[in-house]
Amino acid sequence: MNKSGPELQRLTRRLAETPADFLDEPLIQGRGRVAVAALVHDALRRVGYRPSSEELQRFVGQNANQDRNRLQLVALAVWLLDEDWFNTATLEGPAVMALFDQALQQLAEANQANKYVNDSERREEFARYLLARLDYRPAGESAAQATDRLSALSSTERKRLLQESREAERRARAIREALAKKAADESADKWTRE
Amino acid sequence: MNPYFDPERYPTLSEDGARMLKFLREHPQAPIYRNTSGNRLTHKDLEQLTTFERKLNQSRVDWDANSSPGWLNAFAEQVYREVPFYRAQGIAPRFTDITPVSRADYSRDIAAFVPDNAPIDRMINFRTTGTSGNPLLIASHPRVAATYLCFHRQALRRFGIELTPGPQQVGVVLVGHQRRCFTYVSVTPQLGESGLAKINLHPDDWHNPDDRAAYLDALNPEIYTGDPLSFSELKNLPLRTKPRTLISVGMMLSDGLKAELEDHFNAPVLDIYSLNEAGPVGLFDANLGGHLLLQPELYVEILDPQGHPVAAGERGEITLTGGFNFCLPLLRYRTGDYASMTYSAEGPLLTGLSGRTPVRFRTQTGEWINNIDITHALRPLPLAQFGLHQSADGTLTLSLASASLHHATTSTQALQTIFGNQPIAINTIAAEDKILQYTSDLEGGTLQ
Repeated sequence: MNKSGPELQRLTRRLAETPADFLDEPLIQGRGRVAVAALVHDALRRVGYRPSSEELQRFVGQNANQDRNRLQLVALAVWLLDEDWFNTATLEGPAVMALFDQALQQLAEANQANKYVNDSERREEFARYLLARLDYRPAGESAAQATDRLSALSSTERKRLLQESREAERRARAIREALAKKAADESADKWTRE
Repeated sequence: MNPYFDPERYPTLSEDGARMLKFLREHPQAPIYRNTSGNRLTHKDLEQLTTFERKLNQSRVDWDANSSPGWLNAFAEQVYREVPFYRAQGIAPRFTDITPVSRADYSRDIAAFVPDNAPIDRMINFRTTGTSGNPLLIASHPRVAATYLCFHRQALRRFGIELTPGPQQVGVVLVGHQRRCFTYVSVTPQLGESGLAKINLHPDDWHNPDDRAAYLDALNPEIYTGDPLSFSELKNLPLRTKPRTLISVGMMLSDGLKAELEDHFNAPVLDIYSLNEAGPVGLFDANLGGHLLLQPELYVEILDPQGHPVAAGERGEITLTGGFNFCLPLLRYRTGDYASMTYSAEGPLLTGLSGRTPVRFRTQTGEWINNIDITHALRPLPLAQFGLHQSADGTLTLSLASASLHHATTSTQALQTIFGNQPIAINTIAAEDKILQYTSDLEGGTLQ
């Protein structure tokens, strides 16, 4: 959350005003109306990212039970990213792709998509979560405030932070082990030894 | 199969390179090599090194007293994003508000300073004992180790020396003189697989001490690298061959010993300020009167004990940001070494470089003398290593390496110009390693 983003209310208001079309059934196995892969394609092109067909395949649902909620959240994110403020921001294509692909999968495991539209706390969670994944924080907040507020609101975020901290510890342990190995100790050639 | 073909240690080894390894290791007068190492460089590494060196040769240190490097803020922001120790602190503050770190921080947990994208599978370490009581494993990579040569070649060019590539030539012999020393042979792919030997001159590492000169004459290396202690020993060997140059790192090289070595070998001696944490930092240039900085992407600050930059020309702690070790990017790293910064037409210079915390010594008249004056007083003498200690009762002890004990009288005479007729005891440096050069038990003796 290194960069200052839009005012939070702009985003929560937009979420509350989500057109019913965006929450319509996603196209899965020939059923449903919202072609999420096409929405993703257009959203990524707007930020200068050209997704491969393999990448887009993730947004063509295979199984309604597994994919429906995730794809609805992706459609919701596309709607939110169309807010005017984002047109003035420089979004990183790979970060937007990671948001659509991985981050929303985690959010989908916590709540149904319509909750992120109809419930005011969940709206705030969705807006903050989306901003955080793109390295933004709401306008007027410090990074620490934004971090605290998001982890207070979001069980997904708390789970993510825990996972991140486990992964960081695993990597730190791997580094310590790599450095302690005899092979590392035997080192490589330098022309001088201090 | 030729035992020298080892895809991990020498991924690009040719038949000629293998012959060089065999020659270095199996020569009848070769020392007892106790370890194995290798360049570990892949073809891709070599391409990246070529690109790095080309860029290095086209750039120069472009900051001065009034400006910092253009890359500085972006670098700090990247470190705050990708290095766990800094990421935990949030957003990068203004550069001068970043709290400096020291060797003790690295010692506590070096893993926290390794960026997320540093490849663990090829990680190597350099172990440093140092003099501050914080032993340390520095995270590194074969390409980082090989990058040293780019800076050495740049330094050698200032003396008009271009190294000869090829597997018929021994490029470098790294000379140590310690009871225990890491020794091995290798080849340098950046120089067409010229030979490299890291040897220990201590007689225990040889079948016969006379083999030392015979072996080194057979190798006839273009360059010897080492420290003042090992060069003092090298000078005593009856060598028939002469190197094109010697590179001294790791300890302060006195003007006296430098002159003696240059006279003996009839070759220039390059005095490089280099440390495990950052590689070669500066090359001493007598005409400029200091160590000229070598790395365009290493920002050097001089800080006071509170971590504030001092004015140009004032002494303080050498503090580093940047560097070429992508496994350990430095961000305001306090080295524990002291100097002042001046600026020449050729770039920034470290002047009056001395290792570790500044210490003051009290004369019998109560006057405080800065350790830099001791350095000046002893500089003309060819001392391989020395240390001065003042006890709580004010008595002085000068420690000398055994190779320099015959200079004890002239050394005390030199110190009498400062301390008058105050007695100075002489002590022999037993441990064959770095020592704290200046120490004091007197209240007010240590300036921190």
